[in-house]
Amino acid sequence: MPAFAGLRRRVESWARPRRPEVLPARLDRRRIYILPTGFGAFVTALLATMGIGALNYNNNPALLLCLLLVGAALASLLWTQLQLSGLEIRAVHGEPVAAGTPMPLHVHVEAPPGRERRGLRVAIGDNEAVLSLGDAGGEATLALPTIRRGWLTPPRLRIGTTRPLGLARAWSWVWPEARFLVYPAPEAAGPPLPQGGGDEAQARLNPAGEELHHLRDWRPGDAPRTIAWKASARRDALIVREFERPQGDDLTLDWQRLGTLDHESRIRRLARWVDEAEREAVRYRLQLPGQPVIGPDRGAAHRHACLRALALLPDAG
Amino acid sequence: MARTALALDTAGRRWSLIAAAVCLLPLLLQLPMPLPIVIAIAGATAAIMAARRAVPGWLRTVLALAVFGLVLAQGGMNFGRDTGCALLAGMLAIKPSELRTVRDARSLLGFALFAPFATFLLDQGPLSLALGLCGAVLVLAALARLSEQESGLPAAGVRHATRIGVVAKLIAIGLPLALAAFWLFPRLATPLWGIPDLSTARPGLSDEMSPGDWIDLIADDTPALRVTFRGPEPSTREMYWRGPTLSAYDGRTWTASPWLRSMPPATVEHGVPTWEYEIALEPTERNLLVALEMPLELPEGMHAAREYTLTSARRLDRVTRWQLRSAPPVRFETELPDALRRLALQLPADFNPRTRALAQQWRAETADDGALVDRALAWIRSDFAYTLDTPLPGRHAVDEFLFDYRAGFCEHFSSAFAVLMREAGIPTRVVTGFTGGVRNRYGNYWIVRRMDAHAWNEVWLEGRGWVRVDPTAAVAPERIYDTLEDRLGAGGGDALLPMADLGDWARRAWNDFVLGFDAARQQRMLQRIGFENIDTGGLVALFSLCAALALGWMLWLVARTERERDPLLRAWHRIGRRYARLGLSRERHEPALAWAERVRAARPHEDALVALTHRFVAARYAPSASDATLVRALRTHRPARETAR
Repeated sequence: MPAFAGLRRRVESWARPRRPEVLPARLDRRRIYILPTGFGAFVTALLATMGIGALNYNNNPALLLCLLLVGAALASLLWTQLQLSGLEIRAVHGEPVAAGTPMPLHVHVEAPPGRERRGLRVAIGDNEAVLSLGDAGGEATLALPTIRRGWLTPPRLRIGTTRPLGLARAWSWVWPEARFLVYPAPEAAGPPLPQGGGDEAQARLNPAGEELHHLRDWRPGDAPRTIAWKASARRDALIVREFERPQGDDLTLDWQRLGTLDHESRIRRLARWVDEAEREAVRYRLQLPGQPVIGPDRGAAHRHACLRALALLPDAG
Repeated sequence: MARTALALDTAGRRWSLIAAAVCLLPLLLQLPMPLPIVIAIAGATAAIMAARRAVPGWLRTVLALAVFGLVLAQGGMNFGRDTGCALLAGMLAIKPSELRTVRDARSLLGFALFAPFATFLLDQGPLSLALGLCGAVLVLAALARLSEQESGLPAAGVRHATRIGVVAKLIAIGLPLALAAFWLFPRLATPLWGIPDLSTARPGLSDEMSPGDWIDLIADDTPALRVTFRGPEPSTREMYWRGPTLSAYDGRTWTASPWLRSMPPATVEHGVPTWEYEIALEPTERNLLVALEMPLELPEGMHAAREYTLTSARRLDRVTRWQLRSAPPVRFETELPDALRRLALQLPADFNPRTRALAQQWRAETADDGALVDRALAWIRSDFAYTLDTPLPGRHAVDEFLFDYRAGFCEHFSSAFAVLMREAGIPTRVVTGFTGGVRNRYGNYWIVRRMDAHAWNEVWLEGRGWVRVDPTAAVAPERIYDTLEDRLGAGGGDALLPMADLGDWARRAWNDFVLGFDAARQQRMLQRIGFENIDTGGLVALFSLCAALALGWMLWLVARTERERDPLLRAWHRIGRRYARLGLSRERHEPALAWAERVRAARPHEDALVALTHRFVAARYAPSASDATLVRALRTHRPARETAR
């Protein structure tokens, strides 16, 4: 089997495209491959038997039936190939995820109108997704496995179909010249967020805090559990409590303070802390060796900047 | 692999089962009676059982063995072509018991395609053909559904009519190629292997005859041959279609003498007129031929024995055609060699004593052979009756017929007449074949049915040779009682006659067009369109050319859908391609006018393009604008020539 797999890899390496390409990429006959499926081979053998038998017995109805089926089968081959011909891969986009979790890879495809293209299969390895094109094109979402942090260059995508009769499989490779970011995998369990950072302590409003800061009028969006019902009853209007959190100051997540850990473990801890700080809605800054400090800030963009910096740290050694 | 184990969904199962059932139906119609019902019940049971839960392997084996045994028992343990077909039908019927995955469904459908094929080996009638075609279309539609399921499309997403439409389109696209191959693919002049026999032969003309055994044959009103005359036609009373001649008699059965085959045909002096005709003979699974009495010369592949028993070199497994000329004989073998005379006088001893006594008495009274024949015919006219209702013969069959019940049909008359004449010393033999025929009022041809099978006699008279005598025809018309017309024509058939004629005419066209097409006819067709003496290599070249043309046509048909529907847009895109060749293709995001201006900036002489683009934008985006000449103007526009600098 390994020899066979090796041969297969070898043959696939000859297939077009042989190097990454800039999208959009249009599929044409030079890069669409078509081979009979196992069932197609079975039907071929069956029709050959029928044809030889019919010729031998000079049984014209049987021969005509056989030839009609051959004609339909050949037409279906053309049809299969033309399902792919003219497709245009507009964009491939992967959402950043932590290493180890599958990355949703969106493949956006368009095609000139006039031909129904449904039930195409987009695949990377064993991960498949169905792609059906409407007038505005179509999108398939693949789950691309990720292993390690950093840039992930996607392998070749295979777009294929066996429609309409399942006799042959037409496929084409797409090798987008793109790279997708994979965040470091956060460690599973570890110490809580460090307290403070040495900067001025500052009480900040935080719904997760415990000490009552003050009361204010209700505004749309306030959670019902924050409503001070007794005070509201007295005032004849809804009043909500606002809390503060005692730690109050910006967090600093500093690489240097994790001196006892090895390189990758530091990255994974910092990644977990970034996520925890986001969850607790704390402003935080990230200090990495040889890089300017990121932050302090919070929110999706800040998180992305931090995790990206962590993901792209060079390997140890 | 994960893909092959994909479980079959409801729609796929339903389509597969329907397609297999329709494929099976024409085959079942060809099988002898208890089998189709049993097989149909077995099939339905298997399908229902498998729909509930997986059928265990041992049960499938038991089912398969049961069907196998039943079919063999039905065929009387003879293994023939029909037995094979019945087995195929049985296996196909129980195949749905393992219908769980897409892969199972596909193997069922592939297997089902053999059912129409097997049907055509047994029967090539219009019903079989229509059902076979339906079955094939449904199989393709079922395959389309399976492929949809494999591609993750829900069954509700595609309408049944659309699916059938796709299949019909595929067949239509492949049709030119199929027809080119059908007409032009080199045919085998002789088969590589023979077609297996039927386990039970259909009754028909054969080289033996026992009085009474034709009762099945003459109840069969299917066509035996169709005849087209060129020039004069004989009257129906002259239409004696001569088949096997039987000379040896054992007291019960008349048989042909095989050693006569190796002798050259006897000399015949023909009279006038000469009839020129073509016989299209329905398949008989034998190699016996018939021709109008008496053929002048024999076409290739036809052989005549001494007594003009005509045989074909090959067995008649399909419709065959024979070009013949015949003329009534004036003298037929006037010199009879002694061996042949002895054969024509041979009789078993100790049979039919009363006949022998009568013959000897007549011989004593009448010296002249011809007068003796006339006397016998006169006796038949006065004393005998025609009926299909005859008792089983005893030991002295001829005595019983001549002296006891004095009624019967052609076999009895010809047999008894021959025995009587032989006892009187006149060389006599039995000739079998067909008589008469019915003219089809739509096509210019005659149809002779199997029920027109007939037996008559030839007596050898000095100076004239063999002379045809038809004792059955001598029966007085008022004493013809129970005939085939009485038996068949109970339902007032006259009103339906035109319909039947029309049906037969269509059937003959189908025979000419499709069923009878073979190597010889292919050669003739090619000659007619100007290819004289084309050899196999030339034929392959011609076929390849036509196939390439057909493939090109297919490609064009399939690819055509990609064409832009709107002629205006099509012309606009064409202009875009012309400029793209100059490196000035329009970007996707670029508005038409911006592009035109960019082109003009690069090439100063493109004012015409800008003007055209303005017109295009107006026609395309202004709601009411219509510009009749724009498409034409766009089509004829070419990039301006760069002036030489």
